[in-house]
Amino acid sequence: MGKPKIASDWLAGCAGCHMSLLDIDERIVQVAELTDIRATPITDLKQPDKEGVDVGILEGAINLTTNEEVAHRMRERCKILVSLGDCAVFGGVIAMRNFGKLEDALRRAYVETESTDAEGKIPSDPELGKPTSVRAVHEVVPVDVFIPGCPPDPDVIFYALSELAQGRIPEIKDDKLHWH
Amino acid sequence: MAIVNITINGQNIQAKAGQTVLQAATEASIHIPTLCHHPALPPEGACRLCLVEIEKQRALQPSCTFPVTEGMVVHTQSPKVLEARKFVLTMLFSERNHFCMYCQKSGGDCELQNAAYEEGMTHWPLQPNWQPCWVDATHPYYVLDNNRCILCRRCVRACGELVGNFTLGLEARGAKTVLVADCGVPLGESSCVHCGTCVQSCPTGALIDRQGVYLGKEAQFERVPSTCVGCSVGCGIEMLVRDNQLVRIEGNWQAPVNSGVLCEVGRYGSLHRGRERLTTPLVRKNGSQQPVSWDEALDFLAERLGPPPKRMSKRVAALASTRLPAEALYFFKSLFGDQLHSAMATGIEEEATTGVQHSLIEKDVSLNGSLDALKAADCVVAIGVNLLDNHQVAGFLVKRNLPKGTQLIVIDPFENPMHGLTDYALQPKRGQDYALLLGIMAGVIRSGMSKGKLPSGFDLKKYTSRSVSKTTGIPAKTILEVARLIASAQKPVFVYGKGITQNGSTKVLRALIALARVVGASELVGTKGKANSLTAHRYQLDKSFDPQGYKAVYVALGDDELSPQLMKGLDKVPFLAVQASYASPVTAKADVVLPVGMWAEQEGHYLNMDGRLQVAQRGLQSPQDVRSNLEVLQAVAGHLGVELDSDWRQALGQVKG
Repeated sequence: MGKPKIASDWLAGCAGCHMSLLDIDERIVQVAELTDIRATPITDLKQPDKEGVDVGILEGAINLTTNEEVAHRMRERCKILVSLGDCAVFGGVIAMRNFGKLEDALRRAYVETESTDAEGKIPSDPELGKPTSVRAVHEVVPVDVFIPGCPPDPDVIFYALSELAQGRIPEIKDDKLHWH
Repeated sequence: MAIVNITINGQNIQAKAGQTVLQAATEASIHIPTLCHHPALPPEGACRLCLVEIEKQRALQPSCTFPVTEGMVVHTQSPKVLEARKFVLTMLFSERNHFCMYCQKSGGDCELQNAAYEEGMTHWPLQPNWQPCWVDATHPYYVLDNNRCILCRRCVRACGELVGNFTLGLEARGAKTVLVADCGVPLGESSCVHCGTCVQSCPTGALIDRQGVYLGKEAQFERVPSTCVGCSVGCGIEMLVRDNQLVRIEGNWQAPVNSGVLCEVGRYGSLHRGRERLTTPLVRKNGSQQPVSWDEALDFLAERLGPPPKRMSKRVAALASTRLPAEALYFFKSLFGDQLHSAMATGIEEEATTGVQHSLIEKDVSLNGSLDALKAADCVVAIGVNLLDNHQVAGFLVKRNLPKGTQLIVIDPFENPMHGLTDYALQPKRGQDYALLLGIMAGVIRSGMSKGKLPSGFDLKKYTSRSVSKTTGIPAKTILEVARLIASAQKPVFVYGKGITQNGSTKVLRALIALARVVGASELVGTKGKANSLTAHRYQLDKSFDPQGYKAVYVALGDDELSPQLMKGLDKVPFLAVQASYASPVTAKADVVLPVGMWAEQEGHYLNMDGRLQVAQRGLQSPQDVRSNLEVLQAVAGHLGVELDSDWRQALGQVKG
């Protein structure tokens, strides 16, 4: 058996969890030695291999129909799915939108901002996908490992990756468990 | 107390009869997670997080309310318990907005989050139902966010059962239940007395302190236990300090006087937000105050005060704040009274007669009542005192017992907000409170209910209820009712304040003492005034201040403020020196200003209203060029070439631990 293949993708998030992943600094070399890093949003290859990967990592919440597609694709193509960060695990800051109406949130974001001119309108290009209520990843596809945190600590990410690289399921508890 | 043998997780434990399973477990160092439980509050059993498995019980039981019984076998970590705990937390998280990433309590200070961490919850099995609740930001000191509320009712219990205010309550049912003030008015317009005990009791981010918000977490604070110097109650406090900033003040749950409760003055007023600090010595030159070095200021002061006179002289009059620590007050007395022989070295308190009051009571130690007596009283007679506006925590101790049946009788010839608390609100005509007390006394004796001897000097013949009714304007029936109420009480306590010694007379207080004797009570609580009012009295710093004829006046103000009357007295003073923490009209008028530390920057002793000697700790460093009150008095003495006596403890006389 070769090195475990890892792929990641992001949904409705701020990319901060991937930044935190980069914050493991030189330890990324160890991760690269132990694993075969395939597609990620911050490398050239964007989509996980059709033949499948061992570990799939998702950052961000489900907030659009396109997010649903990305989540389903990752679930289909990976053996172990990891929810990385508070948005993926809980819905995060984006889920604040659910306490009000979707239309109100869109209007506030695209029409009523201080810098919007008279032509401001809510985008409706079909390529963008359709906004939905905000959900955690595990409300859409089954998730195997949850790593909460806003963002998760680089040490926790490194611990989780090195466990996964060695074929073990990381246990996120005690001082590794942070929700914010 | 009977011992009950129980087993928790296989460990044999000897619990006390009447204890709950939680108490027995806690004493045996067995941890059971809780949320709605708080040691200072009566158990509630609302959140179900503390469920445990008790053998022979049909279902899991809440350990916070379940009493121990002989032979009980308890499991706190069985699979059934762990599953229930996780379920309880899951339901709590699913009910409202408990997203931690934008909550100020997140990261160690939230008991809900901590409980989830403890159970190793990495995610919520059920997502929230997205029902927004309203947020109330109308209050000057706190924000109520119902979205963060877990309905544990800790704040409701704190408000009612500790403070006796009953402002907070729950409205509606089930998932729609919300926390409301009064009958649903905005918190800022409610009957709230701004004591903040609810905020201190809240386990989540539902009640947030506005001023201390996002200024740090528990792990970043140093907690400095100390004593509040806001008044003579002497509440135990904790200063929450970060980077030499006083972020919050909390009540010390372990403090004997207040057991965690504070009032607005102690919790928020003492933060001194918005007051302008004095940071360098100032000397008046050519009509305006100039910053100078300490040496220059002290030399200038020493020169103006002149060499110490050999006998009593009218050279320097001195006034000290009774908020200063005993150590500083004693130095003050030693410097101005003993070394400079001033006949006018006194304290700031305006109740010129406090001294007479104290003397009268202190002669007879058996009459010096305590705040503990107030907590246990079944009948409280408050006379000439307003515990709703001053010495508020003492007022809380009375108010919280009223629903439990404690009778309150309020006597005041003037309008008194306390009158609203009771059916026995007696407002005799001006100057007739003495007659009323004698009428009550006569009523007790005539009803054959007296338990003690009437002290000599009182002739009650004229004081029939009918004649007293005529002079006081209070119905004869009420006078008799009140007399019987006081006489039939098991633990009556009399609380008096400055209102009873109008015009410098101690007549009313003498009558009150006589009444206490007649009903067999020994508890008279005098509210005194400021934090070290009693100390000032013991050091004879309690005569009224009159600077007329003195060449110079020295005011040791500390972080206190001067009343307009005292200010007026300083109008024609030829030379004025002030040691103070903050700029004020009196420092603006001064010829020499010496900057001193505020209360949190100095340590010292305080004698509270019932004679308990307590320590106020230092929690903050003073600004660079600022010295403590004690150091400044010492430096002044040094520049005058006199030695100060520092045995403050000896001169204080008898104190309680």
